[in-house]
Amino acid sequence: MDQAIDRRWRDPELLFKALPSVVLQTTCFLAPLVMTFILTFQRTRDFQLRWTWDLTVWTDVFSKPHYWTILGHTLFMAIACVVICIVLAFPIAYGLATRFKAIENEIKILITFAFITDATLKTFGWVLFLDKKGAANYLFAHLGFPPDIVAFLFTDWATMLGMVYNLLPFAIFTIYLSIDNIDRSLILAAYDAGASKFRAHWEVTLPLCKPGIWAGSVLIFLLGVGVFLEPKVLGGGKSPMSAELIRQTFETRVNWPLGAALTLVLMVVAVFIVLLFTRMLGMKRAGFGT
Amino acid sequence: MNSSPILDIQDVQKAYGTFQALKGVSLSVRQGEFIALVGPSGCGKTTLLKQIAGFEDPSSGAIRIEGQDMAGIPAAHRPTSMVFQRLALFPHMTVAENIGFPLKLRKTPPDEIKARVNEMIALMELKPIYLERFPKALSGGEQQRVALARSMISSPKLLLLDEPLSALDVKLKKVLQAELKRLHRSVGVTFVHVTHDLEEAMMLADRICVMRGGRILQLGEPADIYYRPADPFVAGFIGETNLLPINVKARDAGGITYESAEITDTTTTVPANLVADDVKSGPALMMVRPELFRRLRDGETADCAIDATVSEIFVKGGTVQYRARDTMGRDLAIEIQGTSQLPMQPGEQVRLGWDKKDIWVLKPEDV
Repeated sequence: MDQAIDRRWRDPELLFKALPSVVLQTTCFLAPLVMTFILTFQRTRDFQLRWTWDLTVWTDVFSKPHYWTILGHTLFMAIACVVICIVLAFPIAYGLATRFKAIENEIKILITFAFITDATLKTFGWVLFLDKKGAANYLFAHLGFPPDIVAFLFTDWATMLGMVYNLLPFAIFTIYLSIDNIDRSLILAAYDAGASKFRAHWEVTLPLCKPGIWAGSVLIFLLGVGVFLEPKVLGGGKSPMSAELIRQTFETRVNWPLGAALTLVLMVVAVFIVLLFTRMLGMKRAGFGT
Repeated sequence: MNSSPILDIQDVQKAYGTFQALKGVSLSVRQGEFIALVGPSGCGKTTLLKQIAGFEDPSSGAIRIEGQDMAGIPAAHRPTSMVFQRLALFPHMTVAENIGFPLKLRKTPPDEIKARVNEMIALMELKPIYLERFPKALSGGEQQRVALARSMISSPKLLLLDEPLSALDVKLKKVLQAELKRLHRSVGVTFVHVTHDLEEAMMLADRICVMRGGRILQLGEPADIYYRPADPFVAGFIGETNLLPINVKARDAGGITYESAEITDTTTTVPANLVADDVKSGPALMMVRPELFRRLRDGETADCAIDATVSEIFVKGGTVQYRARDTMGRDLAIEIQGTSQLPMQPGEQVRLGWDKKDIWVLKPEDV
């Protein structure tokens, strides 16, 4: 194995084949990242970028707790969203892969349709539904509930609802795929070994879904820290999250260096959390390697 | 040894929708026996195994293990253990965790599990260093041993094997067949082995149960199945054979009297011990195994003889196989020991003889 890797670095043909991907990664990922990093050492004055090469922006970032409160709130919302999505997605995916095998394709098409409908549209749809004079209150009032029972629009709860709604399919599909890939005889083997349905689920199905749960979690977490639509439309912009803060810094305040710094902080923290969980949950073992 | 059957299957039927997978199967297995369920795919052998294991419930009929009716008892609570076709080793557990899993479910103390796992490892001749590895890191044969160890650790009364050797290459298959035989002898557990490989069944089993279309065609010792097949299907399934049509003129307690257009014979009678019970007057088949033929030179005689033209030769190591065409245009399979001399050449007109003591007369399929 080591020899094979050694060879790759010297083999001109292999290096040539890697060229397109190297070029793409460099121009579209690495270069912008480096440019963003360079930007954080500059300043703005009178809405103009000044090439100063100092640490003003960074001292600003680290001295104002406001930014970190928003970051903390963002991370909390993203992690809560991950937990809710996984808890909701698991039974859906399990049912899809086992009980509703006959109409599995129809359900998948419906989920996909909902998924590819523009998120802005769906998010505003929720406003109409949750509004004081919206569909939900109308419905509940007619069912005999007190008026205005649904009154959480423009709170964090509404933001969370929107996030879960928009991100749930990622968890459903990743978990569905891992359940669908489980060899049916593994479950039979667990029963045969003396496991109850619950035990077979706990000892075999769930651990084997771990890669799917993990993939869904990472996707939702990374997308969740980047949401700006839901807090703005459903949360009413009252408690902004990082993505909105970054947008404002770039667009409204025209402070590009600060925006760049906040972007990097968000990225580094998010990646750090993913790596931390990877290590904590022992996801390396989930690859069932040697 | 207990004389009452450990496994008693009575008129078990199983239908999936309109498809009748088992059409009334009855089978009784003795304590410590090695029984093989054999048949082509779709014959119901795996379905039967699933009913015994408790993964499915029969549509009708009863399955008793040690006299206890298994109806409504889930797989987890049956004294059976299955070795799956694709082994079904848990990929997220190490070899030790896999083998110890049945005991872990029975809330056995960890020390005892460890001791029992080590016992199983020794029994299956697996190296202890494998214990902490994942199944994927093991070779096919080693995985097979792990699967067997996992099935044996809970000391089942019945070990059910669902074609576990079918995916292995020929050489490894032979090794593991010997291993299975050894294991069966050493632990004394009753084995029910499903296979489509009759040679494997003949090698391993005390009794063979040949199935087709959801029914048992024949149940008997390997020699019974080989030398005294119940019908042409069993005869052909066991290996290449020659079924020569004869016409039974009379049947009585002493045997049959027959006539045949092509067979030249010294007597036209066959004693009762070489005739299947259900053969009556009318068309019947005389089974002659390929190895029974010998070439008759001029002046040589045998109980029976037939004229044929050699069409092909296959040298198969220790034996030579021939194809020949008889006067009725029927293909004959012939197997002769020894390659040093090739007594027949393609195109050659030969007279083939055989002794009557080795034949078997059976009923044709459609009568």
